[in-house]
Amino acid sequence: MRSDISLKYWNEIKEGDAVTPVVLPVPYERVILDAAATQDYFPGHHNPAYARHQGQKEIYLNSMAIEGFINRVATDWAGPHTFIRRRKMQMRSSVYAGDTLHTEGVVEKCYQEDDRYLVDISISVMVKNDVCIPASLTLEIPYSK
Amino acid sequence: MEDAFDEVFPLNFGSYEDALTLIGEKSTRIVAEFTVNWEMIKVYCSMLEDGNESHWDEEYAKKQWGGIIAPPGMLLTWPMPMQWHPTKEQIHYFIATTIPLPGSTLINVSTDSEFYKHLYLGDRVSVEDTLLAISEKKTTRLGTGHFLTTRAEFFNQKDELVAVLNNNLFRYDTLEANS
Repeated sequence: MRSDISLKYWNEIKEGDAVTPVVLPVPYERVILDAAATQDYFPGHHNPAYARHQGQKEIYLNSMAIEGFINRVATDWAGPHTFIRRRKMQMRSSVYAGDTLHTEGVVEKCYQEDDRYLVDISISVMVKNDVCIPASLTLEIPYSK
Repeated sequence: MEDAFDEVFPLNFGSYEDALTLIGEKSTRIVAEFTVNWEMIKVYCSMLEDGNESHWDEEYAKKQWGGIIAPPGMLLTWPMPMQWHPTKEQIHYFIATTIPLPGSTLINVSTDSEFYKHLYLGDRVSVEDTLLAISEKKTTRLGTGHFLTTRAEFFNQKDELVAVLNNNLFRYDTLEANS
């Protein structure tokens, strides 16, 4: 087990804290790896001609890649002891082969529900200056005793 | 001129009025071909450059969760049909792709997922999807068509509810195809 695992605890987090940004380039290779990794062979994710038939400019990442990327932003920041309880996301525009993703995020709310310590965060997944995917998550994060 | 493409995603065609009669319809329960396995977890995490120890580090994962857990983003991957199988028909669990409607293509628009339990190595996922709503005809930057709202419930092999996914998908024709 690594000894340098970075963990945030619920009682160390406050509303307005920034969620550490993440950058991920999306070359063709990653879009194809996405299709294989998620077993999703919908042609818009691997066939450029089909993607253009859909009104898209290129092949694009699927929902499962975007969801996993958003989860990664949350757990890179809060640590692997995070239980993602809820994730909502809206794909306003697609993420195409050739794009580079970057994120902005903030803590919206810290609260307790029953015996759970919860943190709501919002994350914007962006390409250049455009927000492609706004997302919100509820994270269960341990309390440091 | 549109590029030629030689693969078409199989869709059912019908009228909006007929599709409305299918609201409340449930998919057959699909049981995943693959069990949750570390090999596929690693490929998925590698795709996202996600180093979360819960998916990579057996010692850490055992201490924190009782074992390696699947990334929640892989929820839909487990019940995906194989591209070919010697005895089984390719059945997609996702009911929105099977509803007869106008529109030559589709795209996913939004997801809202709630997670109740982790998936562990060796678990086998099953899923039931329900059609909740179909919007009237709408036009977006991609084209004109209908939004389909569905709700999928995912279970493990003990029949415990693992997660619920509320999904919105757009079934449409491009503006070019409409003109």
